[in-house]
Amino acid sequence: MDYSQMLLVLLVCPVVAALIMAVLPAKSTPRVVYEGLHVVSLAGVAVLGLTLVVSTFLGSDIFALGGWFHLDGLAALFLGLIAVIAPCTGVYSLPYVAHDVADGKLGPSQVKQYYVFFSLFVFSMILAVTSNNIIMMWVSVEATTLSTVFLVGVYRTKLALEAAWKYVIVCTAGVAFGLFGTLLVYANAADIMADPHQAVFWTAILPNAPFMDHSLMMIAFVFAAIGFGTKAGLFPMHTWLPDAHSEAPSPVSALLSGVLLKCAILIILRFYILTAANVGDGFPQLVMMILGVLSVCYAAFEVYKQTDLKRKLAYSSCENIGLIAVCFGIGGPLGIIAGLVHCLAHGLTKALMFCLSGNIMMKYHTRDLHKISGIISVAPVTGVLFAAGCLALAGFPPFAMFVSEMLMILAGAAAHAWLIVVLVLIALVVVIMALIRMITGSALGKAPADISRKDVSPLALAPEIVLLALVVILGISLPGPLATSIEKASAIVIMYEDENPLNGNLVEEALAAIVANDAPEEVFE
Amino acid sequence: MFGYPLVNVLGACLIITSMMVVLARTGRVTACLYSLQSLVLVGVLASLGAVTGSSELYTWSATAFITKVVLVPAILLFTLKKIGNDAQADLLAKLNPMKSVALVAVEVFVCFVAVSGIDLPTAAAVKPTLAVSLAHFFIGLTCIVIQRSIFKQIFGYCLMENGSHVTLAILAPQAPELVEIGVATDAIFAVVILSVLVWRMAHYAHTLDADDLCELKG
Repeated sequence: MDYSQMLLVLLVCPVVAALIMAVLPAKSTPRVVYEGLHVVSLAGVAVLGLTLVVSTFLGSDIFALGGWFHLDGLAALFLGLIAVIAPCTGVYSLPYVAHDVADGKLGPSQVKQYYVFFSLFVFSMILAVTSNNIIMMWVSVEATTLSTVFLVGVYRTKLALEAAWKYVIVCTAGVAFGLFGTLLVYANAADIMADPHQAVFWTAILPNAPFMDHSLMMIAFVFAAIGFGTKAGLFPMHTWLPDAHSEAPSPVSALLSGVLLKCAILIILRFYILTAANVGDGFPQLVMMILGVLSVCYAAFEVYKQTDLKRKLAYSSCENIGLIAVCFGIGGPLGIIAGLVHCLAHGLTKALMFCLSGNIMMKYHTRDLHKISGIISVAPVTGVLFAAGCLALAGFPPFAMFVSEMLMILAGAAAHAWLIVVLVLIALVVVIMALIRMITGSALGKAPADISRKDVSPLALAPEIVLLALVVILGISLPGPLATSIEKASAIVIMYEDENPLNGNLVEEALAAIVANDAPEEVFE
Repeated sequence: MFGYPLVNVLGACLIITSMMVVLARTGRVTACLYSLQSLVLVGVLASLGAVTGSSELYTWSATAFITKVVLVPAILLFTLKKIGNDAQADLLAKLNPMKSVALVAVEVFVCFVAVSGIDLPTAAAVKPTLAVSLAHFFIGLTCIVIQRSIFKQIFGYCLMENGSHVTLAILAPQAPELVEIGVATDAIFAVVILSVLVWRMAHYAHTLDADDLCELKG
């Protein structure tokens, strides 16, 4: 099987699992059948996904189905996130769903619904990151909304349905802006390309981007940033995010926050690259910077204010997506690398934290932080993981987010974007305060007397330990092939700056620029 | 009056029918008016096909007839029947009709001004319709924001989707059919999912009033 076929099999794998589960009768099919299909499908996603990622890192781009699907270094990073986090949250789903069934929160039809839509959700995200057809990119982002709405509302309580309704309405309306942006790019490209049929392919548009109408491209980018920014959870289009993340089952929240938001960021990046190739990087950087700074500043204070564990984590996602936007707003090799590393670091860390919130809910049966204390006494492994996760999310070493946030500060300093750096640092201090308070108040403290002293099942802890291990590994030292692949991915983003192949090491070049006090970008002076 | 003028006149009809969808008092009437509006959309696509010679647009108009004129209204009327309680679905909008009309007029004006600055050969002859399609999008957004009944909010999404469809036809008449099928299928799935959610809301939460759904503060 060659890599093109493997890419198609990767796409088909979760769809087939979903279809088989969908036709099984809910009441007479034992839960273990759904669990078996679910695990097999996710194992396929992990094996095929990681094989494709490694092959992309080592070799050239992969195309499939006449160019409709494309896996380059940039998409490979995000496919890697899916291939790692989806199986982890998928395995975590097994004890979590079993617990909810035992608690009477989920009936047979809801269990079936959960596993069917989980597979469809994974499929739609793989579709989003591998689509080369820009209109199919939009369709796939819309599909992520439609496949997750029943996961958000799976409990069928009034609050869960309210969250699901807000989610679907805000995201479909928001992403419709993205469709307008997409159509403007297509029409613009079709006007100048010899074969208009090729104008739907991102890889075909890119070489022609410098010759497209500038004002239209700027309008298109604004539409795309608003549309796909809604899906990414950027302020002020973030309103669905805290509600959906808090009401969804914890493994779904982990997948939403850890991967889905990053998929939307990838689509924005695709438009960023086209716009930068057309009008220069100043305009897309400015748009990203505005959205990013607003998101970081607003969400940081919300993180501090919230007393609901999952809402706190949800606002933290909004803040971190803002940080990623700020990185792309700063631009230059270091800014882009910082943004990409932060996508990976935050994805893994937030998936860990949402899974841990599931452990806590299984033990305490509440999300209210006033009622959650002494986790380390009640469930020692969960408690230690939770404290470590909070420190990781706060950006302390030796965790991955320390690296990405430090790179962002360095990128800001190199670009002399002092005001931005100061604003972001203030916001980060507020977030650190909120997370330290969560450690002292919830991880430590006196445990309630009425809660049994026993940790959750090993099956729930195993994926969390894997996620924490990855967060530490990325924080201590980026593995060589991954570092190289991040450089390759950032080279795709900044290829418009220099058409010659990049020979040197991007990180070293960027750091050398700092030492030489030679700002690569001076957009924000 | 054939060719591009016909396209532009039908574009104007789109605005009038979408206004009627926003102002309709009952869910049933709204669904019927939406069907009428989609019929006008089919006319726009077919006339654009005749003008541009694009065979894809004829196919689009056929699929739009099946999906938008027949399927979507049928799904929504079926949902209304399943809900049973028309009073909840028929809740009046938060904004009175005069203010709604004024708001839509402003949106149309702004869209005409915005489109007048665009210099795109593909859309040069149908700029009024392009402005209408953009305005349609914002009328849909207005419908979502001003309606109290979440059932009627679905029509807001449908109007936005119709706006996108016209824009797609104007700006990308040669786009592969699979793209159009993708967009249309997506819209059908969206309407089905929204309808199921509305039914569940009525069944489990016993309300279709958007004002009741404010317990979660975004």
